[in-house]
Amino acid sequence: MRRASFVLAVSSVLAAALPGLPVQAQVTAGQGDAGHGRKLFLADGCYQCHGTSGEGGGVFGPKLAPAPLSYEAVLQQLRSPRARMPVYTAKVLPDAGAADIYAYLRSIPKAKPASEIPLLNLK
Amino acid sequence: MEDQANLGLRRRNFLKGAALSGVAATATAASTLAQAQPGPSQQGTSDPNTPRRQGAVTLKDESTPRNRELTYSSCGGDYMVDVMRSLGIEYFAATPGNTFMGLHEAIINYGMTTAPNLRFLTTMHEEASVAMAHGYAKIEGKPMACGMHTAVGLQHASMAIYNAWCDRVPVFMITGASIDATRRNLWVDWDHAAQDGAAMVRDYTKWDDQPGSLRAFGDSAVRAYKFAMTPPYGPTLLAVDTLMQEDPIPGDKPPPIPRLPSLSAPAAEEGAVRDTAKMLVEAENPVIFADRCARTPEGLRLLVELAEALQAPVIDSSNRLNFPWRHPLNQTASQRGLISRADVLLELEPGDPFAVSAERSPDGEVRSLMQSGSKRITISSVDLYMKSNYQDFQRLPLDVDLAMAADAQATLPSLIEEVKRQLPDSRKAAIAARGTRFAHTHQLALQRARDAATYGWDDSPISMPRLCQELYAEIKDEDWSLVSGTLFQSHWPQQLWSADKHYQYIGEQGGAGIGYTAPATLGAALANQKHGRLSVCINGDGDLMFGPGVLWTAAHEKIPLLYIIHNNRGYHMEIMQLQAIADRRQRGIDRVHIGCEIANPNIDYAMLARSMGVYGQGPIDNPRDLGPAIRRAIEVVKKGEPALIDVVSQGR
Repeated sequence: MRRASFVLAVSSVLAAALPGLPVQAQVTAGQGDAGHGRKLFLADGCYQCHGTSGEGGGVFGPKLAPAPLSYEAVLQQLRSPRARMPVYTAKVLPDAGAADIYAYLRSIPKAKPASEIPLLNLK
Repeated sequence: MEDQANLGLRRRNFLKGAALSGVAATATAASTLAQAQPGPSQQGTSDPNTPRRQGAVTLKDESTPRNRELTYSSCGGDYMVDVMRSLGIEYFAATPGNTFMGLHEAIINYGMTTAPNLRFLTTMHEEASVAMAHGYAKIEGKPMACGMHTAVGLQHASMAIYNAWCDRVPVFMITGASIDATRRNLWVDWDHAAQDGAAMVRDYTKWDDQPGSLRAFGDSAVRAYKFAMTPPYGPTLLAVDTLMQEDPIPGDKPPPIPRLPSLSAPAAEEGAVRDTAKMLVEAENPVIFADRCARTPEGLRLLVELAEALQAPVIDSSNRLNFPWRHPLNQTASQRGLISRADVLLELEPGDPFAVSAERSPDGEVRSLMQSGSKRITISSVDLYMKSNYQDFQRLPLDVDLAMAADAQATLPSLIEEVKRQLPDSRKAAIAARGTRFAHTHQLALQRARDAATYGWDDSPISMPRLCQELYAEIKDEDWSLVSGTLFQSHWPQQLWSADKHYQYIGEQGGAGIGYTAPATLGAALANQKHGRLSVCINGDGDLMFGPGVLWTAAHEKIPLLYIIHNNRGYHMEIMQLQAIADRRQRGIDRVHIGCEIANPNIDYAMLARSMGVYGQGPIDNPRDLGPAIRRAIEVVKKGEPALIDVVSQGR
């Protein structure tokens, strides 16, 4: 954490688990494996900036879940990222992996409202 | 090779056998080097007392006093203690080193036994000494002294000095100086001597000196204190002759102690203040950005008065508590939008004025967020004093209309007076309406933060908002002080807590040098102790491991502090950056943990704490266990002791 000025909106995945996956040219959101997506998400990558439930990491990574953007928008952000998020090419993250991660993000349930959490209503 | 082996052992072990060598060796017949040399059988031993080279030549050292007294009743060190006490210095933090042993002895046997007390604080690294002083000053508003061994000690301290420099914080530092080369007895005395020791840190100290006499020490000490405490604050350093500390005072009559004058900070020129007030009063969308503005509680009070007079929104950086976190005019959450709409932007002690209004597009282009025709004004004491080599002055902001080289806090009274004088009655209704709007947006921002905090609320590793709120629930009714920064916790305390006292938050490292927080929190907690405040901190695992010896200092010095480890098991910032680089090169990120991860094995921080006499709990990874653990730890802290909780946490 030495270079504290580095502010990064990063989405990342564990590429180590990916090379064995078949590359699917056309993958849609509904085809993803949420369980595998969670493994990819947590193993070493995405959660670093976005949190284990995609809740976001402040200025370091925006909230991804629940209710993520459309799969197309997520894939677009991975392949041609805006802001300071690094690029994730299909070589590093095949479409199948991206779809699995997206399935995981979609599977994350809605959070309890703040009004029902006493610690978030402290004066 | 034998000499090389000796090199590695020369410092701390030296203290075991030779701490008093400077006195003893010179007090006895040290006038011949040959007498101090061991026999051939001792060659190559690791004892640093051993001269590194054996020679047949015997040198008569004519400069060494032959008839030096074996005992004496006055010493330069006592005078130095009195000078420091006259400046109101309460503590001297140091890891021992033999080039300031004369002063060390004076502090423990004179400074600590007579009033007003000057207490020696034992640290385990010079970086910790300076960082402790850094944190202390941000609470107490005045310097702590710290001592560094010549060369190696100052080298250890250098990063902490740089942090204090960048953070504009006063520190009063002393390092030894072995000036008379003929009275260096051992090889180690030569290794720990420098012709100009302060040169190494001169680029980031405000002033340094090597006084040539006791009387000059008095003058230089007062001058060093004065410079340190004149905005922009900064660290100052005196290199003090070892023998001057140790030797008797000639005639046993100490020199007079120079008087420290009352210090007045430089305020801005009257005409510029008047023009600024006019612009602010006439503005439709004035915005105030405060960075290192509030040096003292008075700075906070003044900023509130200015903002309320204008009903202008305030953006508070995370470097000080300049403005109450729950004040309706605190609009920190809306920084970007506010600056893009501002017609007048007033910046008070901006650390990075370029970044305040700059926006970088995805293709790397930088543009100003501010609209055409808007006015931008800065008040900065840093404009009065800056150096060249290190680049902490930041990139030149291109769109500043008026730059006042002055201390912002000292300028606020006249600016407030001018604003109130120039404010026409016809503007008052519109200004009041502005305040109402901002009160509403403040509440919206608070609700947004609460909503955002719900995500991952029950997760393990524990989320940052959960950690912060579990802590806040236990301290909110106490007189608390958060003595750590919040950048690595995504500023959740600022978003969710209520804080309206200057001491309730002390900001970040300054130079972003890690290893600061653990000792700085300790210094701040020490300052809070006499005011009966509950000091709490949240610090990363990586920061603590730069110098875990601070835990022992906390226990040894009985400094009450609740120390929560934000344990994300890595140098998290670097992991993210490394991921970005690996992605760009399309090599995958499966190896980026190498060099960044602090795992395999996981460190047991609670056990580490207990090994040094600090109450320790954890690792805690279930959020439901956190509240009870914090309550138990606070009970310990309230008894006057430090306590640590290891919390396995999300990255941010």
